[in-house]
Amino acid sequence: MELRYFIIRRLLLLIPTLFGLILLIFFLLRMFPDTYLVARYINPKSSVPVSVQIEQAKAALGLNYPIFIQYFFYIKALFTGSWGTMSTSIYTGPVLSGIELYFPATLQLAIFATILSIIIAIPLGTYIGARPNSIADQTGRVFSLTFYAMPIFLLALLLQLVFGKNVIVGNPLGVLPIAGKFSFNAIGAIPPPWFNASTGLTSPTHLPLLDALIHGDWALAYSSFIYLILPVVTLTLSLLAGILRFIRAGMVDSANQEYVKTARSKGVPESLVIKRHIRKNALIPTITVLGLLFASLLGGVVVVEEVFGYYGMGMLSLSAITNVAIYGVLGTTFVFGITLMAANLIVDIAYAFIDPRIRY
Amino acid sequence: MVEEQQEQIKTKNDGEEYLRVENLVTRFFTSKGIVKALDGVSLSVKKGEVFGLVGESGCGKSVTATSIMDLIPDPPGRIISGSIRIDDYNILNDLPRLAKIDVKSETDVRVKRNKKLIKRHNFVISKIRGNKIAMIFQEPSLALNPVISIGKQITENILLHNRVEIANSIIRRESLTEADIKSFYEQIKDEKGDFRPLVNSWTRQFAVPVAEDEIVNILRSGADREMTVRELSEVIMGKKRGNDLNVISTMRDYYKREEELFNLTLKLLEAESQNDQNRIALLEQQISNLRYNLKKDFSSFLWKRRFFRKKYEAVFEDEARRRALELLTLVNIAEPTRVYDSYPHELSGGMQQRAMIAMAIASNPMMLIADEPTTALDVTTQAQILDLIRDLNKVTGTSVLFITHDLAVIAEMCERLGVMYAGNLVEEGPASELFNNPLHPYTTGLLSSIPRADVKSRNEIKLESIPGSVPNLITPPSGCRFHPRCKFKMDICAEKKPALVEVQENHKVACFLYSKEVEN
Repeated sequence: MELRYFIIRRLLLLIPTLFGLILLIFFLLRMFPDTYLVARYINPKSSVPVSVQIEQAKAALGLNYPIFIQYFFYIKALFTGSWGTMSTSIYTGPVLSGIELYFPATLQLAIFATILSIIIAIPLGTYIGARPNSIADQTGRVFSLTFYAMPIFLLALLLQLVFGKNVIVGNPLGVLPIAGKFSFNAIGAIPPPWFNASTGLTSPTHLPLLDALIHGDWALAYSSFIYLILPVVTLTLSLLAGILRFIRAGMVDSANQEYVKTARSKGVPESLVIKRHIRKNALIPTITVLGLLFASLLGGVVVVEEVFGYYGMGMLSLSAITNVAIYGVLGTTFVFGITLMAANLIVDIAYAFIDPRIRY
Repeated sequence: MVEEQQEQIKTKNDGEEYLRVENLVTRFFTSKGIVKALDGVSLSVKKGEVFGLVGESGCGKSVTATSIMDLIPDPPGRIISGSIRIDDYNILNDLPRLAKIDVKSETDVRVKRNKKLIKRHNFVISKIRGNKIAMIFQEPSLALNPVISIGKQITENILLHNRVEIANSIIRRESLTEADIKSFYEQIKDEKGDFRPLVNSWTRQFAVPVAEDEIVNILRSGADREMTVRELSEVIMGKKRGNDLNVISTMRDYYKREEELFNLTLKLLEAESQNDQNRIALLEQQISNLRYNLKKDFSSFLWKRRFFRKKYEAVFEDEARRRALELLTLVNIAEPTRVYDSYPHELSGGMQQRAMIAMAIASNPMMLIADEPTTALDVTTQAQILDLIRDLNKVTGTSVLFITHDLAVIAEMCERLGVMYAGNLVEEGPASELFNNPLHPYTTGLLSSIPRADVKSRNEIKLESIPGSVPNLITPPSGCRFHPRCKFKMDICAEKKPALVEVQENHKVACFLYSKEVEN
């Protein structure tokens, strides 16, 4: 079967997965007692009796219908409504607008970390995987095992200690800012119209780096770039360590396969044997685990945002959890779920590109 | 008729040797001890000959083949000593300088490798492998790369070794003129019999084999001279691709110079092995001159190639694809274009092995090593593959080193035969001679352990087996490695290793039963 049919089929498969995800979120919501959902619509000081108010609110929320009918109401509301409101220390308002404001920052961290770690891991993994048990390999193994095993908040704190500005007095390496998205000094006395002083967010993309570049504000672009370094490096190191381990293992495994011997017997030069014959096969198991690693990366983003004060979806969901803003929790969970689905889709398609044996 | 055949065999036997292996010693340094896998194997394969190598599993047949290709995985294995001459060049001539092996004890062996020399050695050997000597493996499903299409795997080989030739044939095609076609017609019109072979060789020479059928049809139509020539030139000129001849001839010259450089490197390695200081200095000078000139003369081309690599390669890939399709047809694959684009898992075992053979012969090697090529296939496919290998041997004159444990296959395929036991060649001679008059006790045992259809009475001869099993090669028996299992064991057998000596014409055996030493 051709590749494009595979891709189309895989895209169509997203639809049932999406409904499964919605079902899961819906169940999370319905785990709360009805009274919890109704509570916010009750005014104890009103002249209407509370019991009547409860009945009215239940009717308005559709809680009198059978639960599977409620599921369809929920789906409709997901596609048309604003996903409820939340009120927390960092954001108050409709959940959907909150996600719109904070999701780009998270996506930016995740994408930068993913791209950077793939760019580094493939050549590095090829190099050390082609020389098993050499000094480079041993160093690489120590490196990757260390960062793979280290909790991400610990890594973040260590990086802050070593490279953070003014963390340790007199540390020549301490040049990078440790918290925030950019320096307010770079904004200037009169903030530009695309900067919202009350939320600290820029438009149109809500990514300071991109927005500054769009509007040609080089000072702000530079500042937001500097602030991006430590969080991205933290995420990259932990993701890179995982990928590196799998590429290395894949390289060693496929170097012992018969087809490598065939390639050598044809007179293929060693460098091409590694690039063309060994690496291509080694990438197959690597891509398989990339989806899983990406899931752990999303978990890492939440922690990294918190440690570096980098306001994003992670902070939003954390504040929703600590403030028991139930719609906030559901909304952010849904978005994280969709992100993971998208990442797995990309992984599957990349898999099909590399391994001709995969066509479901 | 019989005489004629014998005459042919004789002339073949008198032919030159293409491969000559002498005293090859290969060892594997494992944590359990040193595996003495090959213990001084010597054999030779003549041009156009099929040489069979038989023995039980674990006797070192495959290690011999792998050593000849210099594909012993290091670590743990290494070729320790010996020489392997392929087309009169000893690929092991820099062997002693590649690594220092320090044997402290059986399990503690330190190998100190000279990385720079090993790199050069690998470079040189990679130009010989696939080009002069190719190999097909036992399990085609494992030996083909699962993620690269069959076509790509074949063209890879062609593009590695046949650059100059490809460039030449493209140039010939693109510079074809009416006069060429006229002279071709003159040449062919008087041909009374079947003119297909002539057409075939001509189209190959000018890289227009796609036009072969059309040419034959035109010639058969029997139109008058002018008409035919016009039609011919119309068809043949239509096959031109309009490539830029300047670029291709520059590339050809470049690759030619690279080949010269490689030949000089071979000479340098030879001189180094003979420790001929004057010659080394001279050759090094020549090589550095050539390298300098290469960079100087082709600097603009090299620059352009760096940026337009795809564009330059496309012409060669196009021609390589054409040749690959031809090869696939040659190995009896029915739908070459479909197979070209398919991946190994989409083919059956027999088809995979055919593709593997096409891949091995892609760069016209004069020697093919077939390491149990039919073991993994079912019987009918086996026969087809064997036929294919034999046809290749007859048509292209490629020598074949055929490794198997199946004596029936050997009897059918090979002219000469070597019998291996525990890392030694114990007997060697013409196949018919060995089957009718086996000398070594091991060969006798091997032959009497196969069921034979021509033995009439059931109780006349019982199937025999050789007592015992192949020895552990970490601690092989002293002297003759076969002596613990031998019926005719003598005292000397455990003390001394018998040499492989010629006891009858063309028939060599390594056994004290036939040695003069014992009689004395």
